[in-house]
Amino acid sequence: MSSLCREVVTLQLGHYSNFVGTHWWNLQDASLSYDPESPPCEVQSDVVFREGQTLGGHVTYTPRLIAMDLKGSLRTLRQQGSLYESGKDTSAVTWEGSVMMHEESPPVKNSFLEDLDKLDGEILAEADFSPQPQCLAGSVNVDTVNNHLARIQKSYRLEGSVKVWSDFLRIHLHPRTISVVHPDGVSNRLEAFGQGDSLLQGSVLEELEDKLHFFVEECDYLQGFQVLCDLADGFAGLGSKVTEMLHDSYSGRGILTFGLAPVSHPDSTPVKDLYHLLNCTLGTVHMANHSSFFCPLTLRGGLGRRPSSPSAFPHLCYDPSLWYHSSSVLALALDAITVAYRLRNNSIPMWQMADTLAVSGRKVVTAYGAVPFPMMHGTSLPDALSACADALPWRPLSACPEAGDGRCYGQWATLKGFEGQKLISSLASGTKAPTPLHSLHSGEDILASYIRSFYPSAPLALQLVSAPSKLTPPFPQIFSQSLDAQGFLQSQPPPPGFPPPVVSSLPVMTSLQSGPALDPWLSELHRGASAFDIRRVAPSFLSQGPEVADYQEALEQLRLLAWCYRDDSCGVMRSSSEEDDDD
Amino acid sequence: MSAIKALNPKAEVARAQAALAVNISAARGLQDVLRSNLGPKGTMKMLVSGSGEIKLTKDGNVLLNEMQIQHPTASLIAKVATAQDDITGDGTTSNVLIIGELLKQADLYVSEGLHPRIIAEGFEAAKEKALAVLEDMKVTREMDRETLINVARTSLRTKVHAELADLLTEAVVDAVLAIAKPNEPIDLYMVEIMEMKHKTDCDTQLIRGLVLDHGARHPDMKKRVEDAYVLTCNVSLEYEKTEVNSGFFYKSADEREKLVSAERKFIEERVRKIVALKKKVCPNGDKGFVVINQKGIDPFSLDALAKEGIVALRRAKRRNMERLTLACGGIAMNSVEDLTPECLGQAGLVYEYTLGEEKYTFVEKCGNPRSVTLLLKGPNKHTLTQIKDAVRDGLRAVKNAIEDGSVVSGAGAFEVAVADALVKHKPNVKGRAQLGVQAFADALLVIPKVLAQNSGYDPQETLLKLQTEYKESGQLVGVDLSTGEPMVAGEAGVWDNYSVKKQLLHSCTVIASNILLVDEIMRAGMSSLRV
Repeated sequence: MSSLCREVVTLQLGHYSNFVGTHWWNLQDASLSYDPESPPCEVQSDVVFREGQTLGGHVTYTPRLIAMDLKGSLRTLRQQGSLYESGKDTSAVTWEGSVMMHEESPPVKNSFLEDLDKLDGEILAEADFSPQPQCLAGSVNVDTVNNHLARIQKSYRLEGSVKVWSDFLRIHLHPRTISVVHPDGVSNRLEAFGQGDSLLQGSVLEELEDKLHFFVEECDYLQGFQVLCDLADGFAGLGSKVTEMLHDSYSGRGILTFGLAPVSHPDSTPVKDLYHLLNCTLGTVHMANHSSFFCPLTLRGGLGRRPSSPSAFPHLCYDPSLWYHSSSVLALALDAITVAYRLRNNSIPMWQMADTLAVSGRKVVTAYGAVPFPMMHGTSLPDALSACADALPWRPLSACPEAGDGRCYGQWATLKGFEGQKLISSLASGTKAPTPLHSLHSGEDILASYIRSFYPSAPLALQLVSAPSKLTPPFPQIFSQSLDAQGFLQSQPPPPGFPPPVVSSLPVMTSLQSGPALDPWLSELHRGASAFDIRRVAPSFLSQGPEVADYQEALEQLRLLAWCYRDDSCGVMRSSSEEDDDD
Repeated sequence: MSAIKALNPKAEVARAQAALAVNISAARGLQDVLRSNLGPKGTMKMLVSGSGEIKLTKDGNVLLNEMQIQHPTASLIAKVATAQDDITGDGTTSNVLIIGELLKQADLYVSEGLHPRIIAEGFEAAKEKALAVLEDMKVTREMDRETLINVARTSLRTKVHAELADLLTEAVVDAVLAIAKPNEPIDLYMVEIMEMKHKTDCDTQLIRGLVLDHGARHPDMKKRVEDAYVLTCNVSLEYEKTEVNSGFFYKSADEREKLVSAERKFIEERVRKIVALKKKVCPNGDKGFVVINQKGIDPFSLDALAKEGIVALRRAKRRNMERLTLACGGIAMNSVEDLTPECLGQAGLVYEYTLGEEKYTFVEKCGNPRSVTLLLKGPNKHTLTQIKDAVRDGLRAVKNAIEDGSVVSGAGAFEVAVADALVKHKPNVKGRAQLGVQAFADALLVIPKVLAQNSGYDPQETLLKLQTEYKESGQLVGVDLSTGEPMVAGEAGVWDNYSVKKQLLHSCTVIASNILLVDEIMRAGMSSLRV
């Protein structure tokens, strides 16, 4: 069944989700190969991209994506995109009387978008038959925007100019992709769970159904949906409704939901922080309910009102308050997490991944990531792993520190991007291996034995992919000087005066876990939300639903969910492991 | 000094006259924005966003939704006006105009010292009278096609140009007539509106049947089937993960393979049942057979169906399932266990149409369709959106007319008549409330005045002509927008909805009175999260 293309439809709900999603799609686009000669890459891009055709007959290649955001969050991007547009047409053919124009002045484009426009234009001029860079027309047009950008290798320093996600969106989107929601009321904000929850009805629901129908109907072997949803604002409510709808209409498909939260929100107040906490709480309960599994993804130290400092990565220097930065780290991790079901050969379908992790009602899983995976240039995997024999190299990506006692109900680890490095130690036969890891004969065994040294009894599934995540502009250069251009560690930092190398690819290791650590994590969420009387402290939170009874019920469900993770049987739980049920 | 000032020195307060002035200026501001929209000669607005997104509209409702209204009073009025649209589908602009005008007239008297409460009483009395006049004036008759066309045309001509409006009018009226059942409320949901982006065309068609925006996904399936049976079902015809796959129920990979192939057989069995039904109803293959499934159909099943000459569509939208059975007859099946020929619907013609990457399947020539489709074609998105808005309003107008069983003269005739009746009624009202009645009468006249103004005529002159003509002839006269002269609205076929006018009188009076009675506005610190 490995040759089948099992399609995935992606949904991005909320502004931060779109930040992460945009970085993620840029990463996908960077690893596309337009050269018919080169061997097909490990990741099958058709899983998440679709081939289409414009009215003019041009072939397009766009994400199978539905992105929802608030009005005003698109700035320079047109909702319909420019791919299917047949030129600017401002005639009012339906009216003969007078027409009054109200024109808004166009927002200033940053240097990256300007270059992108220019490149689009050049390619248009070069090849008449393929007006857009994403064209696969006859594969003749190998000279793509990617190549151009790679050649320029200009670092754009967009930190100051990125206001919304479309400011660094490199790909073209299908006209059906973007959906702008208008919450009622004057504020144009989606602050509370109930507000998002009540949004999905009437024309909004109909529009979403139409869009879903468009992307789903053409799939022969749809394996499921990956849903990226903002957890801290009202989109959590919308996401709950959306996952519920997916669950009802597409039973049997995988629904992998990632709840995303930025490290900090601009101009936050104590009341808003309270709202964020409540949204996280309700969102976690409801989305976990309707998804195959639910994984919170954030660099925050905790989801509570006074979180500890954000996750720090030894080889990254990013600005946690900058959405543009934090979302790029999460996108890298997400690229590795999602790779299992996007592989060309031996891909693991979504539902199998979910079955491995979410056993007996434990639908919430936590993510950990080593971004980048610390690997010396020119060494082997055993060397790299034995260098971190004392502690696992990954950091929490779900605001949930590992319990550290080696207990876990299920784990899914992915190592992506060891290309060019040796997987197994190349010791001459006869010499004594410095560590047991060096004597093993496959990458899987080495990694498994390494992780087992921390989690002795946990069921473990592994995925090794050699191709790294390719970073091309506008990915922010947030790397420390110890990394070389391939993202491996250098033995010595470049001498002062030399500019640090531009990192163009990165190895990443991630792990999804379902373990007892989630019990305190979920209980903490429950305590945080039930610590105060919501009717007194934040009465307007419930003004658009849910009812107080439903709210109490959700808290009760959260308590039960936490109970599922309580460990009474020393962590040895029945769970299907990956090796023997390879599809 | 307001009491709140003592508690919160930062609070902003406006009282009495000042408060009224704030509210009135907001109402008038809104009125100015929408004034030029009214009527078939109003101005079309094109809104171009920073990124070049175009929105084309003349609909007060759409405009109010597009504008980010900050002023609380203005947003209150906007909400009432859009609520009017939600209930009746029309009258947003008139609503805003009349509210603004009521407040303007009231302001004249208030500035001379009359208490707002008395004016509000006058408004109330005037409303009662106006409603009574409305009851007298409404023309109750059988809603034949011609009347409905007049109603729809009156509505549509204010949204799109005359030629297109006439085209839409016929389509809209026929659509509603097709789905209307005697003595039952009309469910406009049964009229599907389908957009089609087409380079050159700009028109609208009524399809007596259904248009689905997807096609058969198999190269061997026919693109055109005549005289076909239609099976509507909600049965999964694809191999999908089910419980057997989820780990608990098998011990080895072998055993699992067995379960998987068993499940595959299960699906094949379903396909066989459908094929058997097809063979039963069309034994010699002279009739076509179309399967429309709400669930998925995988390539294996498609292949099997195609071999038998069956056309199969997968993943039909949920809302189309009901429409399908209404259009072609038959029953939507949830399992293939009890398939009988009686479950099948019929369609005279099923064909596929491809436009770029989009495919459309037309299910046409149904016997007695109770669900129909309006197919809109336009060169670009903003044109399509605008036509769609217009069609929606047209449908609502026709539905209202049928359900009211009566219509009211348009083109300002109604307002002129009511104003006249109110002036005559004035002596029956006690005391100073008479002034409120007078204000109400004057305010209503804003409609004919603006209609005339938008067409380039002098509003006062036109109004006087109308009033004189009305007094002399006693007929309901409105403005003829092509000449500026009075015309008998009913004879010219300008008819408005009774329910729209009724709703208009109610909501305008209530909201204007409420705003009038506000004598203190305060804004105090508490930054609520939602306004």
